[in-house]
Amino acid sequence: MVMAERQVVRVRGVWKVFGERAEEALQAIQQDNLQKGDVLERFGAVVAVRDVTFAVERGEIFCIMGLSGSGKSTLVRHINRLIQPTHGQILIDGQDIGALSDEELRALRAKQIGMVFQNMALLPHRSVRDNIAFALELRNTDPFTRHQLANKLLETVGLQGYGDSMPSKLSGGMQQRVGLARALAADPGILLMDEPFSALDPLIRRGLQDEFLALSRTMSKTTVFITHDLDEAMRMGSRIGIMRDGEMVQIGTPEDIIIHPKDDYVADFVQGLSRLKLVFAHRIMERPETYDKVHGNLADVDTWPQAHPKADLNSLVSLIIGQQCPIAIRAEGKLAGVVTKDALLKGIQGKSS
Amino acid sequence: MPPENSDSLTSFKEFAGHRGDYYGRTFLRIQQARLPRLHLNTSALLGGFLWASLRGNWPLFWIGFAADMAAAVNFALIHKYELAAVQAAADGKDFLVQRYDDWSDAHLQAALILFFAGRLLLGWLADRLYYHHYARWRINRSLPSGQAIRRLGIGMLAVLFIAPLTIYRASQFAPDQRSCIKLARTVQDGGQVPLRDRFDCWTISEFPTLVWLERPPQYTFPRNDDGTRSIVVKESSSDRPVNLNNWLSEHIDQGIDYMKAFYGWLFDGVTHWVRVLLNAVEAVFMGTPWVVTSLLIIMAAAKLAGSRMGLFTAAVLLYLALFGFWQTAMSTISLTVAATVICVVAGLPLGIWVAKSKVGAAMVIPMLDIMQTIPSFVYLLPAVAFFSVGKPPGILATVIFAMPPMVRLTALGIQHVPASTKEAALAFGASPRQLLLKVELPLALPSVMAGVNQVVMLSLSMVVIAAIIGAGGMGFIVVDALARTQVGRGILAGIGIALIAMMIDRVVQKVNRM
Repeated sequence: MVMAERQVVRVRGVWKVFGERAEEALQAIQQDNLQKGDVLERFGAVVAVRDVTFAVERGEIFCIMGLSGSGKSTLVRHINRLIQPTHGQILIDGQDIGALSDEELRALRAKQIGMVFQNMALLPHRSVRDNIAFALELRNTDPFTRHQLANKLLETVGLQGYGDSMPSKLSGGMQQRVGLARALAADPGILLMDEPFSALDPLIRRGLQDEFLALSRTMSKTTVFITHDLDEAMRMGSRIGIMRDGEMVQIGTPEDIIIHPKDDYVADFVQGLSRLKLVFAHRIMERPETYDKVHGNLADVDTWPQAHPKADLNSLVSLIIGQQCPIAIRAEGKLAGVVTKDALLKGIQGKSS
Repeated sequence: MPPENSDSLTSFKEFAGHRGDYYGRTFLRIQQARLPRLHLNTSALLGGFLWASLRGNWPLFWIGFAADMAAAVNFALIHKYELAAVQAAADGKDFLVQRYDDWSDAHLQAALILFFAGRLLLGWLADRLYYHHYARWRINRSLPSGQAIRRLGIGMLAVLFIAPLTIYRASQFAPDQRSCIKLARTVQDGGQVPLRDRFDCWTISEFPTLVWLERPPQYTFPRNDDGTRSIVVKESSSDRPVNLNNWLSEHIDQGIDYMKAFYGWLFDGVTHWVRVLLNAVEAVFMGTPWVVTSLLIIMAAAKLAGSRMGLFTAAVLLYLALFGFWQTAMSTISLTVAATVICVVAGLPLGIWVAKSKVGAAMVIPMLDIMQTIPSFVYLLPAVAFFSVGKPPGILATVIFAMPPMVRLTALGIQHVPASTKEAALAFGASPRQLLLKVELPLALPSVMAGVNQVVMLSLSMVVIAAIIGAGGMGFIVVDALARTQVGRGILAGIGIALIAMMIDRVVQKVNRM
């Protein structure tokens, strides 16, 4: 029961095959292990999602990263059943949403899941305020409540005073803020973000990412965040799932993925990435005993700079600049390890010591 | 010869085959834009379409052949009218002799001009078009090149198929359909008919009647004492067979009679409700004193479309009033409004259905296609057949004529709502009804309003035509003026109609743009 409460979104063995003969094709794939090309040729069907299983925990930002055509947008639409899985199960708070009636599903979408789209998809004929309160309007909330709530949300996303503007009068970044406010309007527990910042220019994107992170921390929404940009995934995600050709290749924290890429595909991806903020002290530290055997000066440990095992490489660099001695890593007052300059430099380069 | 010309020249010669030197030289000049303006190809000039078929250039073949055929037909016509003149002289009809001689002279001149001008044209076009032929051949080597006797054969086949009968037809007075039917009956009864007459009837008269069918029996549907109807069959009075056209149209007539006899309540019901609607509209436009109506119309136009449109509307109404068209014009406007209301009320849901359902699209779109291809006049027939004459059938014919754009543009507007917008609405829990009312219809509104604009204009034009079946209004004045050749009255009414159309069109367009 504890599990079910912690894992807000669970996706279990989901397959999505597009095409008129999807069921048949799926059976053939599962039995004969067919490849993409064969499926298209024999059944005229396209496999978009291939046996994907993952779970998102309460309050975390789960990033799904993949190139275009990897099935990530299709996958995220399963979570609010905009797309029906060909096979598999999706559970929201332990409830199988495949079993919901139309009305229950609509209630779920309106109250529990907010969604932000890459192209904003605002309603051009409604004011910003009416766009934000759209989900509430669909549930027949009275105009006064809608009005109040929209004003509050406009403040949250930093668009005070724009409530009566039409969406077309706003810039792309502002429109996406409206999109975010609309998704937050019904105070849902879950946010689905389908490449929300991809269409924006880099500076604005960066600003919105920071704002969203701050918002997310205060509001503690469970978020599934789709992106094709690895940097963004690393910045935003508590955990990241990497997709390729409909398959979930690897799931892990940014650090996991960068230190232990599961295969060459993932390794290729993370190769060029800066590790300074993604790798932490505990990954590169030596055990105190090992250190002492080689250097033998562990007795001076109290004069060395101190850091926590969760300190990132960037902060270690700041500590060690101008020092001759290594860094002592302490967890709860106890010496947990030692990071030498060499180990730090290797860590930054990405070679294991 | 400069060297860079040489490979072009080789290619020209390879293409031309026979007489390669001449074509090489000529094509080179065309490429260098040095061809004299009056350059003629002598072989084409003399050989005409025969030359073109030898060379496999079919466009030139048809140009040359058409010119020569036109000349030949004119020669044949000379013969026809000379014979006719002799006959007329024998009959002592001098005025006919004179006329036939004149015609015969005219055809002689035409024949000569066509022949020589045609040949000259062909000679002038030949090398120029043949060069294009060459250019296409360079891209696609399977196109004909050079000369080939086989192609001459194909050309001659075409000539044999077309020329003899066409020329024969031109040299004869074709028998009319009636005499051919008489001839067919004689043959059926076993009588003797000259072979030549039978040939003429089969080939150069109206398309021969191939199928003779038995005349269908006559059905009548008399009313019984208790109000029900019974079906009475009577054998046809004449046992003469009829052709396909008569046979089918009699069946259609009887089908309509049957429907009217047994489903009359349906048609009467429709007529009744259309009349109710029309009465309501007429009460507004015709039942109100002209002072009030005109003031309201002008104020509405000024409010909706600006003060200039208000002024224009006032001018139009003044014209109508001054020339005594007030009541008739209001009647026309009432008809238009009633038809528009029906079109919108019926067309909007139909359009939504077409946009939303594949079945709807498959059923409605072909019907709309047919409705839009049939000439507006033809709509009057079913309206009269089922609903008799008067204003309600006029409105119904108008509705059928004017509804397609409403359906089409509504469907178009809904289909063009971006999928991503619809998806967003669904993601926030919209039901199908909410999706339609809060997203699709508002976004489709400009398209829907364009549909309404079209409906209004089409209704107005059809309401005028519907005057033929007694819908009255301004159209009636025009129809009546036509019948009595009172040009002046017709023109004044016509101008009135045009002014009404302009007034409505401008106002509706302005409203749409806002």
